[in-house]
Amino acid sequence: MVNNKSKGVFTATVTSNRRIRECFWTIDLEFTGAGAAAFAEFQPGQFVQVDVSHLGLPAEDLIAPDLRDASRRNILLRRPFSFADVTAGPDRTTAELLYCVLGPASVRLTTLSRGDSLSFLGPLGNGFSVPPGKRLALLVVGGMGAPPIRCLAKLLKAEYPGTNVIAFIGAKTAQALPFEGQFEEMPERVDSFVPALARLGIPSAVATDDGSAGYRGFVTERLAQWLDEQRNWSAEGTVIYACGPEPMLAATAKLAAQRNIDCQVSMERRMACGIGVCQSCAVECRVEGSNETVYKLCCQDGPVFDSRTVVFDPPIQVVEEVGLARAIKEGLASPTVDEARILEALEHGEEERS
Amino acid sequence: MAKKREVDISVDFAGRRLANPVFTASGTCGYGDELADFMDVNRLGGFITKSITLQPRKGNPAPRIVETDAGMLNAIGLANVGLERFVAEKLPVIARMSVPVFVNVAGERIDDYVAVVERLASEKAIAGFELNISCPNVAKGGISFGRDPEQVKEITSAVRKAAGDRILSVKLAPAVTDISVIARAAVEAGANALSLINTFTAMVIDIETRRPVLANRTGGLSGPAVKPIAVYLVNKVYNEVAKKAGIPILGLGGIRTASDAIEFLIAGASAVAVGTASFIQPDSAVRIIDGIEAYCVRHNVARLADLVGSLA
Ligand SMILES: Cc1cc2nc3c(=O)[nH]c(=O)nc-3n(C[C@H](O)[C@H](O)[C@H](O)COP(=O)(O)OP(=O)(O)OC[C@H]3O[C@@H](n4cnc5c(N)ncnc54)[C@H](O)[C@@H]3O)c2cc1C
Ligand SMILES: Cc1cc2nc3c(=O)[nH]c(=O)nc-3n(C[C@H](O)[C@H](O)[C@H](O)COP(=O)(O)O)c2cc1C
Ligand code: FES
Repeated sequence: MVNNKSKGVFTATVTSNRRIRECFWTIDLEFTGAGAAAFAEFQPGQFVQVDVSHLGLPAEDLIAPDLRDASRRNILLRRPFSFADVTAGPDRTTAELLYCVLGPASVRLTTLSRGDSLSFLGPLGNGFSVPPGKRLALLVVGGMGAPPIRCLAKLLKAEYPGTNVIAFIGAKTAQALPFEGQFEEMPERVDSFVPALARLGIPSAVATDDGSAGYRGFVTERLAQWLDEQRNWSAEGTVIYACGPEPMLAATAKLAAQRNIDCQVSMERRMACGIGVCQSCAVECRVEGSNETVYKLCCQDGPVFDSRTVVFDPPIQVVEEVGLARAIKEGLASPTVDEARILEALEHGEEERS
Repeated sequence: MAKKREVDISVDFAGRRLANPVFTASGTCGYGDELADFMDVNRLGGFITKSITLQPRKGNPAPRIVETDAGMLNAIGLANVGLERFVAEKLPVIARMSVPVFVNVAGERIDDYVAVVERLASEKAIAGFELNISCPNVAKGGISFGRDPEQVKEITSAVRKAAGDRILSVKLAPAVTDISVIARAAVEAGANALSLINTFTAMVIDIETRRPVLANRTGGLSGPAVKPIAVYLVNKVYNEVAKKAGIPILGLGGIRTASDAIEFLIAGASAVAVGTASFIQPDSAVRIIDGIEAYCVRHNVARLADLVGSLA
């Protein structure tokens, strides 16, 4: 996978910051000078560490009630974010940071407006790679996993015109899809539903936990269903790219393994440095030809990993046996960004299903 | 035009002349040139490696860190490549660095510490050792050595013998009944420098799940939150032990800026180390060097040594 050597600390200027819906916001950024050159080389799946420690909180009534306590915490560390879009120009590079407001740092991001500047450490980590001979690329998105996958979608369309690309997008509800557009009552089929992808000529299928848009259930179930329907389909010619909550990545990895499909997953960990010096972002990985595992660093060895190497937390067997809601409740699954939301959705869904 | 005044910010650190008093702290800057993309590592006064243990250590499961107000907890669990790979892969990098490099050593048993130091003491590239007897994140060894003066004596004198003519600094845990007792034990057993402080054992609870956030349950608190305590402890050990013994203190804990570093120097530290701050601003250490120099010019401090322990 691609490693970028020209990383550094660069300042970008905010050109816009707006709310898409619910907790989703998007910031347009502009890098000039050395930053423009460094980020022109940005690979989809790479990330940045943004410093928001100088930003104040918005007025209390602008903070969601359930975030008011949490957002009081002062910010010390930078926060990792992917870019959803990067466009390199002759003397400036623009980037889109798509974010979900869920804690003290992301709440502060909402206060930014045109002309403000922000410090970025990056580009960091290893992005997605495109193995030779793939005629079909399947993009799997769970909730806030959208940004790096959108960035990848653009690259695939621009540089791999021979590859057919289809996106499978999952979220709790239609409102929780981190894309612009109108998704309520959307049918289950694969079609040009998501404008950001449709513009690139990429069709998509949506799955929501409550059925408010697309298929009712997990996005991985929808993907499996789709694969079962295909004729003249070759596993060797296919690659899956996934980003989302860890249980979704675990389910995607399992599906890929069962069907012998190459699969790359973008992992998330709490990070302090983002540059491989603090060892805080451990991802447990298998050692080939042994039962042993090692901890690799999400920021340096990832965040994109071959799905076969990762030991997911929680192990997919646990989730399948006890159900995700219980796995999380009993501490068998550790926190992921969307944990509370998944939990809520699942409790809701499980009640209804039983 | 006024001529730029010359100031001497070099320091004597246990007999070794350092270009300036700023080190990187163990566990926050890798094993050598990892931060070379962001700063000229050779401008540092000294470099301290991540803790090395005899055997490689996998470390703790994730989550290993959590942010707190003005700080962070870490429970890395001394994940490191182990002595053998350190020698094969990291030592050649260190040999190319011109800055004095100190290897931080940790272990579960005294023999482990001795074995690591024995192997490395003859390496020209290594200026000295920092003995980590204060890591709060491992089940065995670590902080349990650092709480008992008798054990501190035993481990320090064993390692002192193995270290030959190299500098040996003992890194102290802050949460002990009387840190001067521990500091004195280390000095009497042959330490020629003291590093303080390591992190404070602490906990953050997720109130939704009623579980600790860290997989290790507890972690070590570092960052700006600990700085005033660290300054106090440095001053206490300087007054009660180090000054009389003529032993330099490497002060650390929450240093982000040159002003923070200067507080430690005034309190009695001969040198300082930058840890957590490097995560936010990877070139923090060199910015701090420049800031200390500017302070000396501004305050007519001809030699940095005049600042050390100058607390009124
Ligand atoms: C490589 C990478 C890329 C990312 N890209 C994006 C992106 O493009 N858009 C986006 O909205 N978010 C992204 N994230 C997640 C983002 O970093 C966090 O949402 C952000 O740090 C939250 O900060 P906060 O202070 O607002 O909330 P916090 O209080 O720090 O976190 C709120 C909740 O999220 C959990 N959490 C925080 N950080 C992580 C983490 N790294 N892994 C797992 N759980 C975590 C916490 O446990 C807590 O429950 C990415 C994370 C990584 C590691
Ligand atoms: C992520 C992390 C890893 C650390 N690893 C080590 C270590 O391996 N050995 C050690 O002696 N101290 C270690 N420390 C402690 C630091 O060296 C330092 O004593 C402490 O963090 C206080 O300084 P600070 O507030 O400037 O970070 C670590 C600290 C952090 C934050
Ligand atoms: S975040 Fe520091 S090593 Fe990965």
